[in-house]
Amino acid sequence: MLAQVLVSSATAGAVYAVIALGFVLIHKGTGVVHFGYGDQVTFGAYLALIAQVLIGLPFWASVVAALLLSVAIGALIYAGFMWPLRKASLLSRIIASLALGTVMREFLRAFMGPNAWPFPFLLSQNSVSVGGILVVPANLAIVGVSVLVLGVLFLLFEKTVYGKAIMAACDNQIGASIVGIRVSSVFMMIWVIASVLATVAGILMAPVLTLSPDMGFIGIKGFTAAVLGGFNSLAGAVCGGVLLGVLEALAGTYVSTALKDMISYGILIAIILARPQGLLGVLAIRKV
Amino acid sequence: MTVRIFSAIAALALFVAVPHLLPEFRLFQICLIAATALVVLGQIVVTGFAGQISLAQAAFVGLGGYGPAILATAWGLPLWLGIPLTAAAVAAGGFVLGQLTLRVSGHYLALATLAFTAIVQLALIHSDMLTGGAAGMAVPPFSILGLTLSKGGELYYLVVPVTGALFLITENVMRSRFGRGFAALRQSETAAEAMGLNVRRYKASAFAASGFLGAIGGAMLAILSTYLDPTQFGITQSIYYLAIAVVGGMVSTVGIVLASAIFVFIPEWLQAFQSYLGLVFSLLLLGFIVLRPEGLASLHSLRLGLNLLRSGEGTR
Repeated sequence: MLAQVLVSSATAGAVYAVIALGFVLIHKGTGVVHFGYGDQVTFGAYLALIAQVLIGLPFWASVVAALLLSVAIGALIYAGFMWPLRKASLLSRIIASLALGTVMREFLRAFMGPNAWPFPFLLSQNSVSVGGILVVPANLAIVGVSVLVLGVLFLLFEKTVYGKAIMAACDNQIGASIVGIRVSSVFMMIWVIASVLATVAGILMAPVLTLSPDMGFIGIKGFTAAVLGGFNSLAGAVCGGVLLGVLEALAGTYVSTALKDMISYGILIAIILARPQGLLGVLAIRKV
Repeated sequence: MTVRIFSAIAALALFVAVPHLLPEFRLFQICLIAATALVVLGQIVVTGFAGQISLAQAAFVGLGGYGPAILATAWGLPLWLGIPLTAAAVAAGGFVLGQLTLRVSGHYLALATLAFTAIVQLALIHSDMLTGGAAGMAVPPFSILGLTLSKGGELYYLVVPVTGALFLITENVMRSRFGRGFAALRQSETAAEAMGLNVRRYKASAFAASGFLGAIGGAMLAILSTYLDPTQFGITQSIYYLAIAVVGGMVSTVGIVLASAIFVFIPEWLQAFQSYLGLVFSLLLLGFIVLRPEGLASLHSLRLGLNLLRSGEGTR
């Protein structure tokens, strides 16, 4: 029973990890917690859906189209909103990110309708028994793609000069610009990567959840995962995502399915109050 | 001074005259604007004046609406008693929330209050015994001294004076020592603390005031709509109240009344395009925060009028 719960929780955990990574990347790099990120995840899934259902592209082409469009959206968000607001107060930037998410959600509600759309599955939804534990191939694929994406990002940040430049600019903007890193283009890159991550997460999650404009509330799970792992740690975000998936599955199985969401919001508040730096994060000391 | 006396008399005359001049439907809209403005007043006390971002307003509104309705249906307590009792309880809850979130600010505060709203909404949905669950519950009519107020023209005499009184009280408190403490808190928490301000108590008080105003406003909205639907008290609604506060200019009481009026009238102007309503609201929010972060209150003509009205107070 326990093994079954843990295997099933891996799907949600992997997607939470991808979303949390997007949050942390944006926050670490640009100092903004993007409150509209959950809606960007939904928007990404809708992009693939629109390309496939309304334009009639094959599945793979529509995924590629959605990823390309999300590059443009990431660049647009940075150039159109976050760059002009870079010197605005934190309050304004928080509200702007909330507003961006709300605009995306309401755009989908207005033009794609408030109801759920069926999203095509790539692999069979039928479960296969492996050593007495039921495994769904489609869900395994989600885990696989998530791990792949996380691996690519790890290589990018650890092994390439470009990735190291991004990390350097995140750690110290002035220092990075002194050694010749163009900080504004790094920030643009961060928003683009985060936007692509959102679309990946959206396409992965859409078949499992129901794809409606309100799917964006998955973003809160991403926050919780990011807070759980520590908002400043990329590794922490991944751990937080997996941990949240497991905790949720355990709560859903042993406590109550109805209370599952409440428990994960409760975790969010408890962590914020008790250990705002998260499990793996380092406490930021503010200087006056 | 004379300007203020004249404007007070003019306001009173307007209050008495309006019910005779406007049709029932318009009076109902005025009530709706007043109740919405009251909720948003709670938002600007905590976010505008004290500088603490809060997404808990919809939760306060929900609790303020459900509280009196539950007290009335389960224990037969009249609404006029249930509303202040609930508001006091919500204020106490807001105080505790403010105390708890003392250590966090900025993003974490936004996240914590977001989670608070989500939890309150889920609790309203899952407490079927008291709240009717996802189906919602009816609000009993408001009656006092044997009079039952139900139509817009009757509720006008309840909602508008209550809102007016609370606006006046809030404005005066914000101009007092207490309000200046909030301003200090907004500008720099550390500096405020260094000056000997009890930051913890001020933050908690801001949340308590926000909860109180939100709960009273929520009760008014509940009486006006006569039905409580838990989907009306979620994160989306919190963002809606925040949007009105931003459009109104965050620290301007006149601004939020104007903004509330705009947000109440937009559905009427967009009659044929109801599905675009949410999009219009959110574009307004985005447009104002990027292009005009000071909101309507920064419009030149409005500022001129306000200065004229205040010129009687002398230079401060």
